[in-house]
Amino acid sequence: MDNLMIETRQLTKVYGEQTAVNKVNLHVQKGRIYGLLGRNGAGKTTIMKMILGLTSVTSGEAFVFGQNIKGNEKRIYPRVGAIIETPGFYPNLTGTENLEIFAKLRGTSKPNAVKEALEVVGLPYKDKKIFSKYSLGMKQRLGIANAILHDPELLILDEPTNGLDPIGIAEVRKFIRDLCVERGKTILISSHILSEIALLADDIGIIHNGILLEENSLAELQKKNGKYILLQVSDTAKAALILERRFHVKEYSVQDDHTLQLYDTSVNMAEINRTLMMENISVISSQLCNDTLEDYFKKVTGGEGIA
Amino acid sequence: MLSLIQTEFLKLRRRKFIGVMLLAALLMPLVGIFYFSTSGGSEISPMQFYKWTAFSYTPWIILPLVLGMLCTMLMYDENQNDMLKQLWIVPVNRMGYFFSKFAVVMLYSICFMSITAISSILSGIVPRIIAFTSDSVSFLFIKCLEIGILTPFAMIPVLAVAASQKGYILPVCVTIVYTFLGFILLMVNMYIHPLSSTTVIIMRNIDGVVMNEPIHIGKAFLCIGIWGAVSTVWARVALSKGK
Repeated sequence: MDNLMIETRQLTKVYGEQTAVNKVNLHVQKGRIYGLLGRNGAGKTTIMKMILGLTSVTSGEAFVFGQNIKGNEKRIYPRVGAIIETPGFYPNLTGTENLEIFAKLRGTSKPNAVKEALEVVGLPYKDKKIFSKYSLGMKQRLGIANAILHDPELLILDEPTNGLDPIGIAEVRKFIRDLCVERGKTILISSHILSEIALLADDIGIIHNGILLEENSLAELQKKNGKYILLQVSDTAKAALILERRFHVKEYSVQDDHTLQLYDTSVNMAEINRTLMMENISVISSQLCNDTLEDYFKKVTGGEGIA
Repeated sequence: MLSLIQTEFLKLRRRKFIGVMLLAALLMPLVGIFYFSTSGGSEISPMQFYKWTAFSYTPWIILPLVLGMLCTMLMYDENQNDMLKQLWIVPVNRMGYFFSKFAVVMLYSICFMSITAISSILSGIVPRIIAFTSDSVSFLFIKCLEIGILTPFAMIPVLAVAASQKGYILPVCVTIVYTFLGFILLMVNMYIHPLSSTTVIIMRNIDGVVMNEPIHIGKAFLCIGIWGAVSTVWARVALSKGK
């Protein structure tokens, strides 16, 4: 696809005997926010590091703006802003001084670039507080300010809301959204906070134990996995047998001895209820439910919830 | 490269210890005042005095120790705070980064030796230990400039060690061992240690200095060059090892 800003092909990273990232094929489209969702240690940061060429790739390839990152770093980096892990700065300098150093290194031509970047993240310009006295939230904001300092087309943000308070998280979410909507930036963001990704991302990649289990748009995921019928019966084993044999239902899961979830919502529930009653299975309740993204995450990761 | 060097100086703001370390340049001139003022009546030539205050323990021990500390400090923050990856994606060239640090060390070394030169003159002339002669003063300044320029080259191995380590303990230990080894090896083989070789080059035209071996400037430069080149390659590998 022409509008892919990031594409990885069979990206793999092995540390010793441990495979941190296993054949990941990631597709980040232009002008969209891609949320990389996974538990701690799932491989999110390693993927981002490989995309940026900060760690070597065991096998596979990473393309940014259609170019292989390997060997094209000098052309790609000026168009990318990134925070990887905790942003580090010079502890003896103020936020403004730190950003001025990065602006100088990048050769940023815009005279007010530092001031504007600090304004976006809500940090004071020319403040006297040095970085070592900053709170975790302020450090994170400064990291984001540094990432947007040179007005990059692509932002790669590794857990940018770590350490922020709820209001700070909402503010960061808003300006990330604004960067995408108003300025047309493409954003790859990772998080282990599911609600955050659900509120922010257009596309979601679910990663677990280094494997990209699912990649889809949020709308598609919600459409695909949003609904199911919750059936409470006296005996799930018998009920499951009847559903399979008489109604050819295959997409269901047994939650416990009395609860079943049917993922095909087009089935005739009146008919199912009647049949179960005739087979001496009591139907306690049947209701149409909406699956949350967390439920879906649990489902695709084999029952493990988000950390 | 120029912006890299400029930013290196910007990074040094509020680092008082860097300024405090310059006070070490006054150490030998002060010792010189006490030593020569208590040595009694004999007339002291300016060269004898400057040999003591600027051409002996300062280039052998004090300056290498100070520069080793500086190398460690310059590399420590970025390594410790995991800042290098942020610099690489600017992008900052790894060798450019290493040489910008070297440029800081070089300028600091020249400043240090300039202070040594000025304080040597003042500590000799003000208490009237020596007489002011323009020849000796110009020789002192030229020699101090020579020491200030050559010693950073001899310290490249320490800078490379500092670049390869996250902590400061190993680089500081290496600085101490490296410095004293340079001093000791001066009496064994002058052309196997960069600091010994630096001493050879500095001492080549100072009257009254007798070396263990014949002075061979080419060998001395070769020793400094080989150590410098190998260390630079090592630093390049170390700075890329995250990949």
